[in-house]
Amino acid sequence: MGRKRRLAGSFVAVFLGVTFLMGTLVLGDTLAGSIDGYFSRAYGDTDVSVRNATKVSDTPWGARGQIDASALDRVRAVDGVANAEPVIQGSGQLLAKDGTLIQSRGPRTAGNWLNDPKLNPYRLAQGRAPRAPDEVVINKMFADEGDLRVGDRTAVLTPARVPVTVVGISRFGDEDAFGETSFTAFSLEGAQRYVAQGTDRISGIWLRAAGGVGQDELASRVRPVLSPGTEAVTGRAQSEEGMSLVESGFLRVFRIVLGAFGGVALLVAAFSIHNTFAITMAQRTRESALLRALGAGRRQVVAVVSFEALAVGGVATLAGLAGGFGFAALLRQLFTQFRIGIAMEGLTVSATTFLITVPVGLVVTLAAALGPALKASRVPPLAALREVAAEAGRPTDTRIIVGSVLAAVSVAAVVSGAISDQMPMASAGAVLSLVAMVVLGPVAARRAAAIVGGPAARLRGVPGRLARDNATRSPQRTAGAATALMIGVGVVTLLTVFIGSLRASLEDGVAGSFSGPIVVNGGGNETGGFGTRLVDEAERLPQVRAAAGIGNGDVRVDGKIANVRVADPAALRRVLDLDVTQGGIAGPDTFAVSEKTADDRGWKAGSKVTVTFADGGRQAFTVGAVYGNADLAGDYLVPRSAWNRHTRQPLDTMAFVDLKPGASVAGARRALTALAKPYGAPSVEDRDAFVASRTEDMNGFIAVVYGMLVLAIVIALLGIANTLSLSVHERTRELGLLRAVGATRPQIRSMVRWESVIVALFGTAGGLGLGIFLGWGLGTALGNPFAPPAAQLAVIALVGAVAGALAAVRPAKRAAQRAILASIAAP
Amino acid sequence: MGEDGDGGGARTVRLTKVYGDGAMAVRALDEVTVEFPGGRFTAIMGPSGAGKSTLMHCVAGLEDATSGKVYVGGQELGGLTDRRLTRLRRERIGFVFQAFNLLPTLTALDNIVLPMTLAGTRPDREWLDTVVRVLRLGERLGHRPSELSGGQQQRVALARALVTRPRIIFADEPTGNLDSRTGAEVLGLLRDAVDGLGQTVAMVTHDPVAAGHADAVVFLADGRIVDIMDAPTPDRVLDRMRGLGDDLGRGRSGSAQDEATQGEARGAGRDGLS
Repeated sequence: MGRKRRLAGSFVAVFLGVTFLMGTLVLGDTLAGSIDGYFSRAYGDTDVSVRNATKVSDTPWGARGQIDASALDRVRAVDGVANAEPVIQGSGQLLAKDGTLIQSRGPRTAGNWLNDPKLNPYRLAQGRAPRAPDEVVINKMFADEGDLRVGDRTAVLTPARVPVTVVGISRFGDEDAFGETSFTAFSLEGAQRYVAQGTDRISGIWLRAAGGVGQDELASRVRPVLSPGTEAVTGRAQSEEGMSLVESGFLRVFRIVLGAFGGVALLVAAFSIHNTFAITMAQRTRESALLRALGAGRRQVVAVVSFEALAVGGVATLAGLAGGFGFAALLRQLFTQFRIGIAMEGLTVSATTFLITVPVGLVVTLAAALGPALKASRVPPLAALREVAAEAGRPTDTRIIVGSVLAAVSVAAVVSGAISDQMPMASAGAVLSLVAMVVLGPVAARRAAAIVGGPAARLRGVPGRLARDNATRSPQRTAGAATALMIGVGVVTLLTVFIGSLRASLEDGVAGSFSGPIVVNGGGNETGGFGTRLVDEAERLPQVRAAAGIGNGDVRVDGKIANVRVADPAALRRVLDLDVTQGGIAGPDTFAVSEKTADDRGWKAGSKVTVTFADGGRQAFTVGAVYGNADLAGDYLVPRSAWNRHTRQPLDTMAFVDLKPGASVAGARRALTALAKPYGAPSVEDRDAFVASRTEDMNGFIAVVYGMLVLAIVIALLGIANTLSLSVHERTRELGLLRAVGATRPQIRSMVRWESVIVALFGTAGGLGLGIFLGWGLGTALGNPFAPPAAQLAVIALVGAVAGALAAVRPAKRAAQRAILASIAAP
Repeated sequence: MGEDGDGGGARTVRLTKVYGDGAMAVRALDEVTVEFPGGRFTAIMGPSGAGKSTLMHCVAGLEDATSGKVYVGGQELGGLTDRRLTRLRRERIGFVFQAFNLLPTLTALDNIVLPMTLAGTRPDREWLDTVVRVLRLGERLGHRPSELSGGQQQRVALARALVTRPRIIFADEPTGNLDSRTGAEVLGLLRDAVDGLGQTVAMVTHDPVAAGHADAVVFLADGRIVDIMDAPTPDRVLDRMRGLGDDLGRGRSGSAQDEATQGEARGAGRDGLS
């Protein structure tokens, strides 16, 4: 019965680790599969598409520039083209029925409805195709979001406000949208008028091949008629390209985050596995000794234990694979609930996932069991005949020496890395300090548990004292149980402190560069924003002293892809303090870069650079200014005047407004709000709200960190529960004696619970201390201020302590219910 | 002793204990009516499986009776909640077991006063000093059990049993793990507790020599009382045991060690019969 429990303990630890790893990997696979599905249908049955050859963005939504519309007639004349349709796609933000912008995280596009159903990836779900220029088909997700029905009147910002009538609602294959992309389809004439703003330019041409002509064949036939700067790609290549952009961008980040979850889970689980095996081995000392007494060699004892570990690890890994599917399904549900914008159907598993999970599960189990197995093999045969202590109470000198050296080296590395701004050194020190902590855990456990348990012993009477004594009597075991928690809490604390530093740095930067009272905030969507004319109108308000808009864009600077801010530098200078360190902002045509970019690329004021715009146009610029504060202005500042020569749909994402002395802020806000209404009503915020909203993006990280916290704590909690169960089992007689001489059940429960809380507090405190120290070290190494978020750290500490109490629930119950006789009667 | 008698002691009326049910049922005690009078030292003897330990466990409130009644110091145990039973054990019953008598993390003194600390009361200082002096533990109070000899450990256990001034002390093979000299010393101390301090003691034993220290011996076989002997001597006890066909009657303490190594897993039912 004890044996069954021990096996179950090891099994659960391995199972959980594998489940989390498998679950996160399967979720990644599933997401990739779903996105793959999207891209394979993104271009309908288009065989070849003609588009601008210049690529300025690595993001999947980064659109290419336009091409000359005259290409269409030449392409149509190519032999083997069954049909060729002009495609217009550009910025188009749909307003909801109530006149506000429909908020979404995906691209907000408008274009023409393709009348060839083979070319059009969208299908009409309701209504009809647009005929008049002010008729549109919108996709279902946004019809639902915006409460729009066929026949409704609304408007699209392109970015000018275009009143339209919804005549149809479309779906993308079986989905309500392509991810979270909004697509408002005009008739060709409408798209030319409002999106392309002319008949001379189009976004591209989509072609269908005549029977018997392959995609590659058609592409090579089309190429000769294209002008330079224009290219023909097959539909297949285009899908793969889209997928690879997602794969290297969003999906990579997603997988890294998921992998981090899986990694933390596995790390924490590994310690639980190790601790379980260590206790198991200690309790089985006599069995090992008997084997030795009967003539088994040391190696055979190791083999027996390893085989058992492998068997447990194998079964648990298999179960974990199944568990992983369940976990992935759960995660998928969660993600769908939070609308990440991708509908995931079913679960996809790649072979890689199995190839990672199965060996990792087995190797981690084996590695975790190896130490205890070696220890078991060193049991002298005589131990079979003696009543032996379950395990040695004192840490060895080697451990103390090695641990101290490691700790000293790692602390020195972190501190000197932090002081000299050397991130690699600080990181190496951080990793080393984790190792040091694991080695030193048992050394610190006795004293730490005694200190942590002090209040319990004083306040909770005998149960508290016994709890403290039990926690200190086997430092190795206490440290083992606490280590899992310590690592989990440590990693989470580190991230929390680190994010706190980043946030403080960003806040300082934003608050330091912008001193005006009001900001018009177009939101965080990369393709969103409001028409640049809003700033001109704002400037004319009587209260306003100065206003400047800033937009986003993608270009190549000296051949390298760069995300840039677009603004009138002279206007920007009047509302933002950019901390110009070289050169100066001379006028509206000044091209400027951040100090960091200048350092990275070896530029200074006066350097010549070439900027390639999305439409393929190039322009030589001279770096006019280098500025220090990049929190709002980004790394490149491209003059609005130059930018607007390459786009017909200029957008600002933010506008900074300064008021005349004595003007009422509230009054100006009201005036600006009214002004902004026809522009999709971007929010008009005061300075504090704006500063707060800039750091809001980081809340996503915080959520991820808390997710990790919960995960790590759940696993560590099971580890502690496991250790406690085994200890309770081992101390059966003591418990019986306590009951016989008058301990009540609540007292027994209280004793086990407090022991658990002491272990958990030890782990939490250790993790917090380490995490704060490393967070300081790494944050300082990056030059960020040290600003540990007190509230969040308090939550972590509290959760850790509560976890301890929770972990004890079952073992405490079992300890209290254990029949007194079963425990004492055995001689 | 009457039901409300103040003299302490314990008694049973038609106490029956059955383990398991159906075909597997084992009748460990069969309508046992016996009295452990106050201020007396009673030994319980019988062959293995006779029900000695079960009897003791039932009287001590460690186990429920299947039927019949148990009184400790006039208090009937049947129907008491776990909390009341625990209190009763804490206040009115003392225990000395064969082994694992003490909590390894506590000092000797902490072990002695454990029932009081569990109850949240203070020990009677004078009485504690008396007990410590009588058991000659003054030098050892700060030691942990692992630093004490077997005889010292049993003395600490006896001190713990005495310090609450219980109605009755139950001793389960208290000398089983001791050599004969130390065993005799512990038995002498039990005797002194009865004679000098007026305690009531009930002791389960296999050893006729140990039983010889008692005022009376209750013989059990197959869950029934077969005989009661007053003023026993080792020889008379041994004769009586032979009469019961118990070939294990001698040298039991020598084999207890072997039994201790037999393994840990035992069902509760079998434990009761051992």
